[in-house]
Amino acid sequence: MDGERLTFDVYEVFAQTDPLGPHQHQFSLLASSPEMAMALAQENFLRRREIYSIWVVRRDQIVKSGPKERERFYRLKKSYRLTEDYRYLADKWRRYRQAPMTPETMV
Amino acid sequence: MTTREDPDRLEAFLARIDRGERIEADDWMPDDYRQQLIRLIAMHAVSEIMGALPEKEWVPKAPTLYRKLAIMAKVQDEIGHGQLLMRVAEDLVAPLGKTREDLLDDLFSGRLKFHNVFHMPAPTWADAGIIAWLVDGAAIITQGMSLSSSYAPYVRALQRIVEEEGFHIQHGESICMALAEGSASQRHSLQAALERWWPALMMFFGPNEADHPSSHQKANLRYRIRTKTNEELRQRFLTKYVPRIRSLGLVPPDPTLHYDAEQGRWIYQQPDWEWFRRIINGQGPASSARLTLKRLTYEEGRWARAALAQGR
Repeated sequence: MDGERLTFDVYEVFAQTDPLGPHQHQFSLLASSPEMAMALAQENFLRRREIYSIWVVRRDQIVKSGPKERERFYRLKKSYRLTEDYRYLADKWRRYRQAPMTPETMV
Repeated sequence: MTTREDPDRLEAFLARIDRGERIEADDWMPDDYRQQLIRLIAMHAVSEIMGALPEKEWVPKAPTLYRKLAIMAKVQDEIGHGQLLMRVAEDLVAPLGKTREDLLDDLFSGRLKFHNVFHMPAPTWADAGIIAWLVDGAAIITQGMSLSSSYAPYVRALQRIVEEEGFHIQHGESICMALAEGSASQRHSLQAALERWWPALMMFFGPNEADHPSSHQKANLRYRIRTKTNEELRQRFLTKYVPRIRSLGLVPPDPTLHYDAEQGRWIYQQPDWEWFRRIINGQGPASSARLTLKRLTYEEGRWARAALAQGR
């Protein structure tokens, strides 16, 4: 019975559990067609959870970043792009509520 | 794959491990790291698949429809876990020119071992309960540790698996409690199943290698593939489960078993480690029957896989 080697494609599976949530990557599987990938995703792995939507994508169709990019992403820390830099605003608003500025004090 | 590795690269890799970074499948990694991962994850994958066999024997004989549905769902989960882990292993062997078929051939030839507990027979319904409660309980202790492993794809698969194993333990607790609260013969069958499984559970985490850790254990700790030793995991298992076992009126078949407060550890009778080695080498009581069944279904299913592969 051993003859030629059987080959399948790797599919990546994404699923959404709630209509307002993102499609999140779940796992990968082997299949020979998108239909087979979709059936396996549901039957083998997604039975226990409530699922709203599934995407299957052949892995070689995905353009992805690699190890070099990951290193670069780590270094991208720009505090002025983050709301954490503006945390002091809440304290200021509290002070203004207690002691509002007036046109007179603003001169 | 080079056999000689650039020492600078190796040093940079180990520095990443020490910083607690996670390694991805497409990252550079030393051959030794890859080999350790393949050894661990392929073994875990086939153990999930072989582990479904003793329980599937109980699907047609489950005592109620509810139990039948629950154990069927568990068996199906375990095969799913095997498939998820198989994918993680495949991505690791792919650069070596190997596929899933090679991993399964290794299983059939005995080169790829599966876990000692799945070489044991499950002659009564109480065995199905003990497997789900205590074998899965032991598995979750190992897998809980592995959630901090340095290899990210393994951890991502484990996050799913651990969540489902949590359900399996409750399924087992429910079976065992029902038997413990039942008739004298039900209690007797539960105690007998515990006695049957006790040596296998004591072997579950492997030998205590505190005095001379194996090169595999040392490498796995260095690469942070694992973070605890066999003995640390076994101690954790005993701390968690011995009180629960006793609270169901069950008696572990080891008169020396006790917690030594001074040493801060459980004292227990060593299982027969020679027997352990024979079991994992395919000489356990159910090894050959289960492997034969797996090989047969794999061969008989080849036409179906071939038909699906032709659809490309």
